Parts: sequence; structure tokens; C-alpha cells
Amino acid sequence: MWLEKKLKKCFTHKPYKMDKKKIARVTSFRYQILALIFILLAGGLVLLPKYQKQEGIKSEALLSHATSPERYISTDQIANKIINKDPSFILIDVREEESFKNYSLPNAINIPLAKLFDEESLPYLNQSQFDVVFFSNDHFYADQAWMLCNRRGFKNLRVLNGGLNTWFTTIINPEKPSQDMPAEAFELYATRKASSMYFGVFYPDQQAVAEESISNTPAPKKVITVQKKKKKPVEGGC
Amino acid sequence: MGPLIPNGLIPMEWDSIIAIIIGIAFGFVLEASGFSSSRKLAGVFYGYDFAVLKVFFTAAAVSVIGIYYMDYLGYLDINQLYVHPTYLWAAIIGGIIMGIGFVAGGFCPGTSLCAVAIGKLDAWVYVGGIMIGVFVFSELYSFFEPIYNGYFLGNITLVDSFGWNPYWVIFIFSIIAIVAFVVSDVVRKKVKKVFYS
Repeated sequence: MWLEKKLKKCFTHKPYKMDKKKIARVTSFRYQILALIFILLAGGLVLLPKYQKQEGIKSEALLSHATSPERYISTDQIANKIINKDPSFILIDVREEESFKNYSLPNAINIPLAKLFDEESLPYLNQSQFDVVFFSNDHFYADQAWMLCNRRGFKNLRVLNGGLNTWFTTIINPEKPSQDMPAEAFELYATRKASSMYFGVFYPDQQAVAEESISNTPAPKKVITVQKKKKKPVEGGC
Repeated sequence: MGPLIPNGLIPMEWDSIIAIIIGIAFGFVLEASGFSSSRKLAGVFYGYDFAVLKVFFTAAAVSVIGIYYMDYLGYLDINQLYVHPTYLWAAIIGGIIMGIGFVAGGFCPGTSLCAVAIGKLDAWVYVGGIMIGVFVFSELYSFFEPIYNGYFLGNITLVDSFGWNPYWVIFIFSIIAIVAFVVSDVVRKKVKKVFYS
């Protein structure tokens, strides 16, 4: 019973006159207080210590991409794609212009590592229509280009495993398998030999057959057009 | 993290539904705070009611402060937000026309629809005028097109084009807002009161 009474008292309890006055005094300043909070918040933005914001993908994502070997594409795969005229990829040579002029893969585009993020090279890298395959002499510089582009969040980036050195030792000048090797090695050798013929290597044993159809002209360079990625604007208004 | 829809945290398909919900809430708040009365809106120009000025100034300042805090804390990427493109002369001429319409009719397009919803006759006339305006513009589109599509400056902001520090701009903007509120209160006390429903 006494509890009930006490509860009733609690709920019907009215603030004392002093309390009411105090509250009224504070609430009469409510707009000034709100204005002050407003200024403080706006001033806080000015005073906050500024820091360099991280652009592109998160560091955890970058690490997991970097440690995964998924980005590598083998020279055999690339040779196969080039021979079959696969239109779904762009070859990017990240070596210097001089080396590029000396020798490069057919239809490769030269974007030296220093010019990677130039205005004219971005449309090739930051797009989603083609796979981008980086290559250099080894895959060292190509990996660097891959890392920089991946960091900025570009999609569909690959690296030619072993670069042009491996290209020469596997496709252009494949090693002849010795007699004690398995049959797959001979098949692979046959495929590579055929590919190297496609890329203009001449073998003595085909001399008799191909006497008349020798052509030293390199494969014609096809023009790869890349559409600039258009950002779809989010429409808004009053 | 944000904005939520472009970053895929909310699927694209939801945006119309979210727009409808926000629209209903916006309309409700406009009507509930008396913005469906043309006298309240016209009060800004005659000096007896500054609610419109206060509401929209506060809304702009609060949201800009909130957005920059969220950007600072990494919840929102300001660069991904949509900036309305600027067509310089189209904006100037459109602003003048809208301003004249605002004073004369006592509505802005949003509040006029609110007032239509509660059956105000002047709002019906006003929206009818908007429709006629839309019709005339569409019929004469080829004549207006050079202005409509010309003088395009891209999605520019004051901060980008003048190279200002956004934090100082916000701070000064907030002070201007508070000064404007104080001045408008002083003006309102001097002007004769107008009673309306």
C-alpha cells in the first residue's frame, strides 16, 4: 500500500517553483544556445586537424590482391589469344619508348611507367571493356604498373608472367624437349613452335614447304579504340 | 562508406522507393509547418514572416556541416556526391523568372503542389500557370535551345572554381546565416503584423 502511495506521489510530483523559473530562464535563451552550437560545430570543422585522405581501394583489399597470383597470365595464353584474334584485351608495354620501338608484342600500346597516369593513357587503363595486360622485360615493372593501377581501383588488370624474356624462351624460341620427357611436353613444344611460326620465326624444316609464302611483314597493327568511361550522373533537384 | 546507393550498400532498384518516401516526408513537413500558405511564403518579401528564409538557410547550413563532418570521419565521400551542372545564363534567366513568380504567386514549385493537395484555389491557378509555362517552353524549345544548353560550365562548385577552403566557407556561411536570422527578426518586429491562416 505504501509503495502505491509513494509511486502516486512520484508521478503527480510537480516541479518546484524555483525549478520552473530556472527552466524558463534557460529556454528563453534557446535560440542563442542553438546559434552558439551552430557556430561551434562550424568552427570545429575549421579547427579540426586535416589529414590526407586515402584514395582508391582499401589497404586490406590491395594486400589481398597483391598476394594473389591470379593477376598473372602465361605467355602461352597470350600467344593463343593473339593468334585467335581475341578482341577482349589490350597489351600495354610499360618499358621505355626506345625498347618499345625496338621490339614489342603485336598491337601493344606503349605506356612507359613514368607516364602511367597521364591524361592520354588513362582511357586505356580505367575502363571496363577490355582486359589490360601489362608486360615489360621481366614482370617486375609490369607488376609495379599493376600495383599502381590496382591501388586506384581500376578493373581487369593482368600481368604477363615473366614478361618478354619468358615470351622469347617459350614462344619465340621454345626449347626442344629431350627424348625422356612426357608426351605433354612434346605437345606443348609443337604448339609453341606453331605459335612462333605465326609470329614470324622460320624453321629450317619448313623451308621446302614455305619457299614461296615468306613474308617478313609483321602482323598489321589494328587500331584499338577505347571509349572514355562516362560517369553516369545521379540526377537530383528541388 | 557512403553515399549508400552509388557504393552498392543499397541496391539501385530501391532508389525510386526511397525517393517516394523522402518525397512524402518532405511534403508532409512543408504542409505541417505552414508552407502551403502563399502568405507565409510571400512574407519574406514584405517582411512580416521570415520562416522560409530561416528554414532553408538552416537546412542548407546543417546539411553542409553534417556532410563535411561525415566526410572528415570517413562515412561519406564528398567527391561522389552529385553536383548540379551549371548552365550560366539559363540559371540567371531562370532564377529571375522563378523569383518574379515567387513574389507574384507566393509559391515555389514544391510548396504549390503541397497547397494543391490541401485544395487551395490560388495554388491550383499557380500550378496551371506552371503547366502553361512548360507547354510554351516545349513548343518554343528550338528557339530557347542555345540558352538552355549553352554557357555550360560543368559540375562546378564555388570551392573548386575559386580555390577556397571549404571549411572556412562553411564557417563564414554559418555566421552569415545567424546574422541573417537576427536581422530578419529585427525587421519582423518593426513591420506591422499580418494575420493569416
